[in-house]
Amino acid sequence: MINWGNFISQCFNGLVLGALLALISSGLTIIYGTLGVLNLAHGAMFMLGGYAGWMAYHYTGSFIVAVIAGSLFVLVVGVVTERLIIRSFYTRSHEDQLLVTFGLGIIFVETVRFFFGSLSKAVPPPPPLLGITSLGFMFYPTYRLALLGIVAVALLALYFVLYRTRLGMIVRAGIEDSVMVDSLGIDVYRIFMLVFGIGAMAAGFAGIVNAPVVSIAPDVGEAILVQTFVVVVIGGVGSFPGAVLGGLIAGEIISITSMFDPGYSYVMLFVAMTLVLVLRPHGLLGTAGRE
Amino acid sequence: MAAGLIAAPFILPYLGFTPSTINRILVWGLFGIGFDILFGFTGLLSFGQSAFFGTGGMVAAYLLTIVNFPYVVTAVFIGTIAAALVGYLVGLIALRRTGIYFAMITVAIAEVFYFVEFSPLSAYTGGENGLPGVPTPTLPLGFTTIQFNSDSSLYAFLAFWYFVGMVLALRIVRSPVGAVLRAIRDNPLRAAAVGHNIHSYKLTAFVIAAAYAGFAGGLLGIMQGFMPPDAFTFDTSGQLVMQTAIGGAGTLFGPLVGATVWLYLSDFLQTTLHLGATWKLVLGVVFVLLVCFLRRGLIGGMSNLYALVTRPVATPIKPGQGAVPTPAMTVEEEQKAIAVEIATAPVAAPMPAAHRQNGDFSGLILEAMALTKRYGGLVANSAIDFSVRHGERRGIIGPNGAGKTTFFKMLTCEIEPTSGRIMFEGRDITGMNVTDVCQLGLTKSYQVNQLFTRLTVRENVTIAALAELRGKFRLDLFRRLLKIPGLTEQVEHTLALVNLTDRAERPVAALAYGEKRRLEVGLALASSPSLLLLDEPLAGMSPRERVEMVKLLKSIGQGRTMIIIDHDMDSLFELVERVTVLQEGRVLVEGTPEEIKGNKAVQEAYLGGVVAA
Amino acid sequence: MSNGKTPFSKSLSRRHLLQQTAATGLGLGVLSVGGPRGFEFVSSAAAEDQPPLGTWPAGSQGDTVNIGAATPLTGTYASSGEDELKGWQLAVEHINNGDPLLKKIAPKVTKGLLGKKVNLLVADSGAKPNDAVQAEQTFINQNKIILMTGSTSSAVAVALNHFAEREKVLYVTGISGSNDTTGKDCVRYSFRQNFYGETAANAIGPVLIKVFGKNRKAAWMTPDYTYGHTVTKSSFDYLSKNGGWTMVTNQVSPLGTQDFSQYLTNIANSGAEILLNVNWGRDAVLSIQQAKQFGILPKMKLVIPYQIPFLAKEVGPELTEGVYAATDFWWTLEDKYPLAKMFVDAFYKKYNYRPEWGANNSYMSFAIWARMVSEAGTFYPPDVIKTYEKGETFDSTVGPVHFRPQDHQLVRPVIIVRGKAPKAMKNNEDYWEVTEVDPGAPLMQKPDAFGCTLGDYT
Repeated sequence: MINWGNFISQCFNGLVLGALLALISSGLTIIYGTLGVLNLAHGAMFMLGGYAGWMAYHYTGSFIVAVIAGSLFVLVVGVVTERLIIRSFYTRSHEDQLLVTFGLGIIFVETVRFFFGSLSKAVPPPPPLLGITSLGFMFYPTYRLALLGIVAVALLALYFVLYRTRLGMIVRAGIEDSVMVDSLGIDVYRIFMLVFGIGAMAAGFAGIVNAPVVSIAPDVGEAILVQTFVVVVIGGVGSFPGAVLGGLIAGEIISITSMFDPGYSYVMLFVAMTLVLVLRPHGLLGTAGRE
Repeated sequence: MAAGLIAAPFILPYLGFTPSTINRILVWGLFGIGFDILFGFTGLLSFGQSAFFGTGGMVAAYLLTIVNFPYVVTAVFIGTIAAALVGYLVGLIALRRTGIYFAMITVAIAEVFYFVEFSPLSAYTGGENGLPGVPTPTLPLGFTTIQFNSDSSLYAFLAFWYFVGMVLALRIVRSPVGAVLRAIRDNPLRAAAVGHNIHSYKLTAFVIAAAYAGFAGGLLGIMQGFMPPDAFTFDTSGQLVMQTAIGGAGTLFGPLVGATVWLYLSDFLQTTLHLGATWKLVLGVVFVLLVCFLRRGLIGGMSNLYALVTRPVATPIKPGQGAVPTPAMTVEEEQKAIAVEIATAPVAAPMPAAHRQNGDFSGLILEAMALTKRYGGLVANSAIDFSVRHGERRGIIGPNGAGKTTFFKMLTCEIEPTSGRIMFEGRDITGMNVTDVCQLGLTKSYQVNQLFTRLTVRENVTIAALAELRGKFRLDLFRRLLKIPGLTEQVEHTLALVNLTDRAERPVAALAYGEKRRLEVGLALASSPSLLLLDEPLAGMSPRERVEMVKLLKSIGQGRTMIIIDHDMDSLFELVERVTVLQEGRVLVEGTPEEIKGNKAVQEAYLGGVVAA
Repeated sequence: MSNGKTPFSKSLSRRHLLQQTAATGLGLGVLSVGGPRGFEFVSSAAAEDQPPLGTWPAGSQGDTVNIGAATPLTGTYASSGEDELKGWQLAVEHINNGDPLLKKIAPKVTKGLLGKKVNLLVADSGAKPNDAVQAEQTFINQNKIILMTGSTSSAVAVALNHFAEREKVLYVTGISGSNDTTGKDCVRYSFRQNFYGETAANAIGPVLIKVFGKNRKAAWMTPDYTYGHTVTKSSFDYLSKNGGWTMVTNQVSPLGTQDFSQYLTNIANSGAEILLNVNWGRDAVLSIQQAKQFGILPKMKLVIPYQIPFLAKEVGPELTEGVYAATDFWWTLEDKYPLAKMFVDAFYKKYNYRPEWGANNSYMSFAIWARMVSEAGTFYPPDVIKTYEKGETFDSTVGPVHFRPQDHQLVRPVIIVRGKAPKAMKNNEDYWEVTEVDPGAPLMQKPDAFGCTLGDYT
């Protein structure tokens, strides 16, 4: 028997989770699409955004400052990481790239643990967004509703950057044909640095806006990273629309399955990924180009 | 190695290793052997090995504790088989993709195993409690029974199995399968093109790695007397990857070295320096530094150092063998001089094409009918009709962008035509894959070198020859390479034919460009094709290298059908009997070299500019 | 595991060894059938009265004896782990300087134990069984520890139970709420001081029925591991049988869950009137905070069947007001028990906050161990165990208590507390008021009801 009120609420949960996954996955996917590097430290970027935001909140008490600080900090971390380390790995194998980003992820997580300890930190939502809102047919936490809007705006902003700016054109051209970009005479390295920073910032932004929902701890990124992989595989590597679609699908699968038995939500997510791999090996919206 | 294993328990404690740490190192080392075959030898980086480690361990522990199955070692073997079976199923899914996709899929699958083990299957796995009470193994000797229940006797037990695992792994790595795995690591595209079913080989490596993981998992349970659910966590996979990379991938011993460093540092940082949770940060930094600066881990670093010390002066490798031509000579004089010099050099006897099932087939060896390839709106090839007789040497020319390479790719089934059919020796090969077509006797050499770059010249040729001698897939895991009948002869012959015998032991990276080009042809040749396609074999060569290559092509062309694409018209016309001219994806004209030279349309479309000048 | 949990012990291993004969899979080419019993390869030493056993006597030959604690300093249970550590440290300090409080519990302790200084070694277990076992193994090898402690997760307690049995080194649990710890996974070498699922349920059950009435609809939130399942089962069994309560939903979440929205949505739509939250550590804090975000609290009445240290501090007294919880110790018991007062004062003096029950459990389990060792007059493990098993009654921070020899569980009262309203708090740690102190014996199951059979002494 399905309780329809519960079903709709769970769909809403799925939407919020899905939007968040979509945002994080877009960051991962544009970095990979442009630079050809799968950033295993992406989960750590999500975590760093949360902590940087928490620090800012701690000193200013302003949620908006926290969001800005969290995002900018991760942008800087991304740019610096690219400049110092990732850059020398473009010419090396995918496997080496995976190893180094994996190692960087550990360093980020353990550094945070070193300075902040393992206890979770809470960032409360801004006062106007406290409490619950009635949607007529159900009640829903106000901040989670707002989160849906915030993430949607962020995704739109990312869309704008990718599809309406010169940088975005280059990035998308790079995803489709990296050789072409090389021959355009563009300073590819500068672009790469920026893309890595923006991709990381997407995760960092998600990390701080999600902090009021679940509070932050050094290892929050790991679980998110694995879900992000599934999203990217479902949506298609390197595809921004794919990441958004994949995120929403993953969010809904997790939520709707948990209506019946939360223990199986992850298993169902995996079943979906397998189905996609069998039926559309390059993901729902991916192209055969990159591997 | 055996000596090392025997000495270790006497030496290591003095360096601050506790007995249980040494045992743990062996378990991780064994776990890593399988992973190294997968990652170091086949180039597949999996972040999901915990699934198999846990599966093997849990199955064994389940049998030994809940079922009260009495045979410890047998239980571990059953766990190993279970892990291998699971590995086979997971491999079917994960190996649909390669590279980062593969890494991501393995992570996701392993995570599912963790969840499934933890909750739905907790009745069998003990959920978060794991399975305590795993008994220690015993060895009945008739007059007495040895019980492996102390740290030192367990060490003997684990060391024995590590030794067995290592011997088996060495046999696998040195078998034909091992050679093919390395080929897949270096260049999967070419490994498939010379006729190996790379998917099956990758699956083999995956299953081997899963079996080693399962076995090590079983030993972990025995060693601790407790099978922990933590074995299934992502941490386990990550630690394995890091240990292997620290020690050095592709060495088999790397994981053991890595585990030693890892566990020692972890013990040292935690119990001696009292760093608490910070130990992992230190190890993370060590790991990143190693990946950045020591690409092949500690073992690779040490062997580089050793090479540096023992080889005082590196001898520069000269391209070709001859002296540098004197600048006084004109180009023509130089060409002539080279031609004379090369013509007088001895030539290896040509190697006949192997007889295939349709060996006595005469008439058309290849026939393409209305072959068309479209990329979106772009038509690369349009309704090409093309046929080649047995024993013919055919040239294909055409301006850049005429669709020559696309045409070749369709003929060798690297890409599927949009429409049209291809017949090879009377058989319809349309829609087959490049591996099967190569096994039928049709292969090509590539326009851009596709070599197995980390292997030697001899190994390169061997891999191609293996495909012909062993078929596209065979599980001769423990056979020695040298024991394959005809292999040595075929490799030697191919090497002689492409004039690389004295370069046989060089790594590919140390070859001059012309030599690499010859090896490229040699790879195609080593599988004794009845139809050989050569995509611009002369491209980018020096005049001397060209003359050598033409001579090589002439000699291998005897008794073999060849189709050659090239821009060097003079050389090509000298080599082939008939020429097909492609233009804008269509056949412009076909005829003997003389006819083509005299053809107005060709001159206008292609040679026009040259003639006018 | 139907026939008990002895495979760690040598007797069963020996049986294995005899049956091992068909292990031709070994590949060793040995095909003998059976070996004569009784010929021992392993250290069965001389015909002394007390042959070496585990770390005895090596561990107690010097001036100092070592204790190894594996406690979570990272992860979901880190905050409780740190608190427990403080309890052990205080106990060790008291043993070494012969503190009056400690002497009330263990009168024969002078300065140090049997003339030796006690030293505490600590490692982070992350609440993971494997890490805990590894850490203790290292301590045994390197430091010859004579006592192990630490858990906070019952999974760790169960693993260390079996490990203790194999290594023949005593183990006193840290926080462990699962029935299994002194139930089906009980061992000769392990002892538990604190309350557990069954006693918690039987203590809080009558209170809940009295306060909320019969035939209520309740939702459970259960962490997916032994502790969670046993506490949920014990509390549901009591409430359904005696109060006719129904379980409208039971939301089982993995340890370390961050986002409880899916679970909470199911609860919000389940029509439950009362929410029994069995989650623990950070899981409990997050689930309660998020339940408020979803408007479930204060709409539903929250009950904590098994108290979480620092819960009120972390979620705030607004959320715990009126909440009923079963616990092991609360500092206001100082008004009732003189030893509790001494303990709270000593702890407050050293750490500047009032102890929660995790720290109390740590202190008490060490103090009791010191009592048993000093009464036995030896560190020899079987003698110490037998002293525990005498079941003598002694005074504690919650009044007179004694051990049950059949399952090594301390018979001790369970404390029921109710959350105070913020304005009723007398100081900043006055979160709970004690409403009842239930004597332990009637709350406990029969010693063998949960399948406990203890192993061998040697």
